[in-house]
Amino acid sequence: MTAQDRLESLLSHNTLVVAGGVAAVGVAAAVVGCFGVLRRRALVGDAAAHATLPGIAAAFALTGRRELWVLLAGAAVSAIASLGALSLIRRHTRTRDDAATAIVLGVSYGAGIAAISGLVARGVAGSAGLEAFLLGSTAALTLHDSLLVAAISAVVVAVVLAGLKEATLVAFDPAFAAVAGWPVGWIDAVLVALTASMVVAALPTAGAVLVTAMVVIPPAAARQWTDRVPTMLGIAGFVGLVSSLAGVAASALVPRLATGPAVVLASAAVFLASLGARFLRTSWRPPGVSES
Amino acid sequence: MMIWPMVVAAVVSAVCAVVGTMLVVRRMSLLGDAIGHGVLPGIVVAVLAGGRPGGMLSTLGAVAAAVLTVWAADAVRRRARLSEDAAAGVVFTTFFAVGVVLISLYASRVDLDPGCVLHGILELAAADTVSILGVMVPRPLVNGLVALAVVVAFLAATWPAQVFAAFDTDAARVVGVPVGIATTGLLAMTAVATVASFEAVGAVLVVAMLVVPAATAELLFRSLGRVMAAAVAIAVTSAVAGYLAAWRWNTSGAGMIAVVLGLGYLAAVLVAPGEGIIPRLAGKAWLVWRVACEDVLAAAWRREEAGGVVPTAPGGLLASLAGSWLRLRGKVEGPIARPALTDAGRGEAETIVRSHRLWEAWLGRNVELPVDHLHPPAEWVEHYLGADVRKRIEEEVGAASSDPHGREIPTERG
Amino acid sequence: MTAGVDKTSIVELHDVTVAYGRKPVLWNVDLSIDAPCLYGIIGPNGAGKSTLVKAALGLVPLSGGSVRFFGKPLDEVRGRIGYVPQRESVDWDFPVSAIDVVLMGTYHRLSWFRRPGRRERDTAMDCLDRVGLADVANRQIGGLSGGQQQRVFLARALAQEADVYFLDEPMAGVDARSQERILQVLSGLRDRGSLVVIVHHDLRTAADWFDRVALVDMRLVAAGPTAEVLSRENLTRTYSGHLELLDEIGRAMQTGRRTR
Repeated sequence: MTAQDRLESLLSHNTLVVAGGVAAVGVAAAVVGCFGVLRRRALVGDAAAHATLPGIAAAFALTGRRELWVLLAGAAVSAIASLGALSLIRRHTRTRDDAATAIVLGVSYGAGIAAISGLVARGVAGSAGLEAFLLGSTAALTLHDSLLVAAISAVVVAVVLAGLKEATLVAFDPAFAAVAGWPVGWIDAVLVALTASMVVAALPTAGAVLVTAMVVIPPAAARQWTDRVPTMLGIAGFVGLVSSLAGVAASALVPRLATGPAVVLASAAVFLASLGARFLRTSWRPPGVSES
Repeated sequence: MMIWPMVVAAVVSAVCAVVGTMLVVRRMSLLGDAIGHGVLPGIVVAVLAGGRPGGMLSTLGAVAAAVLTVWAADAVRRRARLSEDAAAGVVFTTFFAVGVVLISLYASRVDLDPGCVLHGILELAAADTVSILGVMVPRPLVNGLVALAVVVAFLAATWPAQVFAAFDTDAARVVGVPVGIATTGLLAMTAVATVASFEAVGAVLVVAMLVVPAATAELLFRSLGRVMAAAVAIAVTSAVAGYLAAWRWNTSGAGMIAVVLGLGYLAAVLVAPGEGIIPRLAGKAWLVWRVACEDVLAAAWRREEAGGVVPTAPGGLLASLAGSWLRLRGKVEGPIARPALTDAGRGEAETIVRSHRLWEAWLGRNVELPVDHLHPPAEWVEHYLGADVRKRIEEEVGAASSDPHGREIPTERG
Repeated sequence: MTAGVDKTSIVELHDVTVAYGRKPVLWNVDLSIDAPCLYGIIGPNGAGKSTLVKAALGLVPLSGGSVRFFGKPLDEVRGRIGYVPQRESVDWDFPVSAIDVVLMGTYHRLSWFRRPGRRERDTAMDCLDRVGLADVANRQIGGLSGGQQQRVFLARALAQEADVYFLDEPMAGVDARSQERILQVLSGLRDRGSLVVIVHHDLRTAADWFDRVALVDMRLVAAGPTAEVLSRENLTRTYSGHLELLDEIGRAMQTGRRTR
């Protein structure tokens, strides 16, 4: 490619449409992901992500339609169902939390694979495209689709920012919040539902297997820069934005490089840099852990 | 030619179940997931360097990548002030993304299909054969058997340390058990199992093969040996059933195996003896019934004691059902609303009342509780006291033959 | 404040039983506290002291009995109750500063989605000052010593401006200076007419610190003025443990069968 080609490929209508959607998703996933990381439930989103596949296959099989919103609606239903199953396993069995997460994740992913392979093997028209949801595929993202995921992202960010006080309280000290009369269970459920929504909205970008990176890595990077929740949300959103745009650009420039893995690697690079930067800062200025 | 893929599935499932049991009992399921994803770049690099998937070189690459994944996750957790799951999430998604990027960039040179990486293709795996003593055997089967031998040999060699570390890691460390070696070895074995099953089930579904059989077996058995044996049996059965289902409905073998494993877990959750939801509900129902029957008997006894004037007979549908049943069994007679004890029922009724009054006496001595608050707890505890415990309570409350309300405590009947 | 409300107990536990699963860990506790004071809940490890407080505050479900505050159910009086959980119950790496934590004590006066303003900040700063931590208000909580962390928690409870305070092991792992400061603040609360209930496991200091105590060991052994309750006989009853009996019956209840 010549420099001119590269610029054109970056600024093509399609790239810009994709960039808009992916950037919105990157910001919102990072913002809501902060509470998963702070609440020590970072991988709940991973179980939900893997569990979207059976929902996608079922939505396609039942409606015969391939519009993004239909498939994502199916994904949302099965993601929420898997979170319900996870909470039932935790409450009613002896199985420990880590194993419960692995069971829900593995089994629902298997069900999704079986459903999609079955559809493909029967030669159902258009079913082959469902495999794009495994690792993400932004190539087919239309303007309409981009607007849809951007709208979901905007709503999620608005809810998180509105409930920042409540979410922080519950994430830090649920027992205190409960005694003070806050409905801790419901606030938790809303946070988990928002995470599931972002996992679903980010599926076209990163796919079921890698989407969890978009809710975990930017918050982890942001945590290295600050000791305040609002600042952490802001930085995480920024990291999400930058790595999404970098991923889209890289995938537009490098042939055969998919957007999802590129976004993940970009945020991983930011994370490493953030970790390094914190070490430099703390070694110059030792932390003030002194008795007063 | 459907027998070979099934055998391959059964063997790799068994390998995963053996390793997975140790992961589950040591609460390291998360690492199984992380390693499943984390080995991908190791395998891809090995394949780029000329190895074949499942071969020696890619096994080495996978073990190296697994060790690196675990080390990195631990380093990130400690250095970055993150919880264990967030640290693992950062590391394994990054490793997996590296693997995917390498595959797509070098697609022409790597004999790896992205679908195969994610969920394996059993039929394809079994089609790759080698000749052993003149028989064409799938290469993944040979790899699986070798992996099984390695894993079993390792666990056998380190078994006491593994058991001790699983039971109490800190105590094991204190008495000098080489926990570090046991743990590192276990992680290496997880990598071996992951590589052996890679072609058959892929990098993601391997977590189901590792964790679900052991988690199911844990609901059914308590001792480590039995859990492992049951996990292997469940894994092999599910592999066969899952493969047959996939063949019948023409879909992904690995996917169906995971589904069957999930159904098996669900079944265990429902019917596991003692802890399953159905046995627990049945136990609860039986308890409610027993309490209803005993309450009818005790009320009849108290009426007899008071000369028939006590009005507090249990009412309601359950009580009348219990009364009818007791009359059928010949323990009470007369009207269901106010039954009278037969000789057969009197002994049982006396035991209940004795339990009740003994407990009131014990509470009166040992608990700061006003006398008028003693009856409700005794009404509840009376149904649980056996002969031994009644005797111990009697010894403790001394020779007192009356309860705190001044009523006589019936003596124990032989 | 509340001292004058005649005849109504501030806290009343009526025949409270708490079970994990079906196995009771706390049996038939009947306890009422009628007047503002420093009230110690004392007992050995694993006796159910924390469980008692958590049950009273609705954090663990009751399997029998009832709890009332000022003669009313908990939900009607939450605004009058302050709570200090055990220090280990939260993640001290959490990205909040001391003043952020204390501000949480004012949240129940704010409606949903309203942020704390100038008035709440002033209250929080004042409370931090009362526990002697005004100078570390903006430091991340992980950078504070154990005693300072405990005082931040206490300041948060002060910011709740409650009439009854429950503190779960506030003196555990706390340096002598912080202990003194905490005790001083708590005595001040009592003198202004608040009831302060403190879960505590050290008998020696209990005798010096508390006006009244309840001795708990899977059941309520005794309750009343400190000197009376901490008699040799009661202590023997608490610490000599004929609790295998309760334990054995508890296990029978878990399975739904009879004991031996």
